Amino acid sequence: MKLRDYLRDRIFVYLMLLLSVGLLQLFLRAFRVPAKLTAVVAVIFALYTATTEIWNYMRRKNFYNDLKEKLEGLDRKYLISEMLGTPSFYEGKLLCEVLQESNRSMCENIAGYRKSASDFREFIEMWVHEVKLPVSSLSLMAHNHKNEFADKVLEQTRRIDGYTDTVLYYARSENAEKDYLIKEVSLRRAVSNAAVKNREDLLLHHVELGTENLDVTVMTDGKWLEFILGQLFSNSMKYTAKDRQAGITVSAQDFSDRTILRFRDNGIGIPESDLPYIFEKSFTGKNGRSQARSTGMGLYIVKNLCSRLGHVIEARSQRGEYTEFTITFAKNDFYRFD
Amino acid sequence: MKIFIVEDEKEIRKELTLLLDKYGYACASSDDFRNITARILEARPDLVLLDINLPYQDGYEVCRELRKESDVPVIVLTSRDTDFDELLSLNIGADDYVAKPYNPTILLLRISALLKRTAKANRGQTYRNLQVNVARGSLSLEDRELILTKNEMIIFLLLLDRQGQIVTRDELMTALWDNEEFVNDNALTVNISRLRAKLADFGYQDAIVTRKKQGYVLK
Repeated sequence: MKLRDYLRDRIFVYLMLLLSVGLLQLFLRAFRVPAKLTAVVAVIFALYTATTEIWNYMRRKNFYNDLKEKLEGLDRKYLISEMLGTPSFYEGKLLCEVLQESNRSMCENIAGYRKSASDFREFIEMWVHEVKLPVSSLSLMAHNHKNEFADKVLEQTRRIDGYTDTVLYYARSENAEKDYLIKEVSLRRAVSNAAVKNREDLLLHHVELGTENLDVTVMTDGKWLEFILGQLFSNSMKYTAKDRQAGITVSAQDFSDRTILRFRDNGIGIPESDLPYIFEKSFTGKNGRSQARSTGMGLYIVKNLCSRLGHVIEARSQRGEYTEFTITFAKNDFYRFD
Repeated sequence: MKIFIVEDEKEIRKELTLLLDKYGYACASSDDFRNITARILEARPDLVLLDINLPYQDGYEVCRELRKESDVPVIVLTSRDTDFDELLSLNIGADDYVAKPYNPTILLLRISALLKRTAKANRGQTYRNLQVNVARGSLSLEDRELILTKNEMIIFLLLLDRQGQIVTRDELMTALWDNEEFVNDNALTVNISRLRAKLADFGYQDAIVTRKKQGYVLK
């Protein structure tokens, strides 16, 4: 709150005061009151106005400046009403009441949304578990009655399973609740679990899979990491280069403060103009539009899961040469509970 | 070997029985989920496949009750697949954990691995007169010893495990990948012929027989 703004705001009051003092002076002069006396009256008026105005200004200035300062300092601005002291003047009190009332109503509103979001997520979790039962039945049936048709059924059930997992992990990644479990996970185990799950497809696409230095453990949620790796596998298989033997190399590098997992393929790569956006929701890019049916959700979910787990995922690529994803796992004693 | 299947989905139970039957396990199961623990104990199985979502009481509870009475190996089968569920399963005394929808081949591998691990009389592995040294990764006959590569050992052990039965290429492949050996079809063929050559070296020329479109049999 600046003095100039305050004065400008009060300009009408001052004009009226000036006018009335002027009129009073004329009136007094008309009654031949001595000039000294009229001067005293004017001074008294001026003193009175100055004191009340300064007092008024100071009260408001203290309150509003405090309010603005707190607002700027706040990360979540809607919490401002919780931070306010009760001001000594009427308008301030009114403002506080209004803020608190509107805040309360907004909280109720948000609680409603939160409830419906978590209900929805619970339903999705439940639905996914239910749908896995018929998928299990189908894959067992196909396995028990092996023939060409059964193989096709198996392939399709694998696809259904992949899609349901995407839904499940999307719901999990969007949710604020902590439903992951950080523990020591062997990278070799995680990579090979993800690879076994994608074995048929990897062989179908003639992908050579190599691993290097995976005998390290990282602090993460094993299941989430397997899902992330599965997404990377399925991306690599979508964008293989036609003119050479497709290959994926998964390797790890262990540093004193972090472990880096590199997932590199020799596929068609990502155009440089697309690279900054690949982790964004619903981004399909040139590759996604021209090559495979891409929903633009896979990498978005991957990024979300990584940041919830506290890992950093980055992508580098050279068009026509390679794509490399790196996941950085921090080594933090905070995670260890033994 | 008798396996008790605790699963409330009829279709899955039927297909699981069919699958395990085909691989030479005897199967038992029950509809009576009220007293399922008693039913399991009555059947005296060598291994229990346990679903988690069950009527009346959940699988964790069944497992806990079972553990009070018996050390029978338990594999938890479930569609709840978080790390937390896995940890909980192992904490209440289950021996292994497989998430639905499982790859049937992996399930079979886990079952036979668990049975081998818990087999009371751990007979030293032999094939005819050959001594199989898993730890050293070699085969030996009297003073002669031949080293097998990791891949060959995995293949040989799976064939030996089911000696006389057909083992499909898919099973061999899954076993290899499950052991972090990401080989392709050609590599599998090469590994098998190398293994054949090594066995022939000991005088077992026709140890591994190819069954067209089915798989391999170790005689």
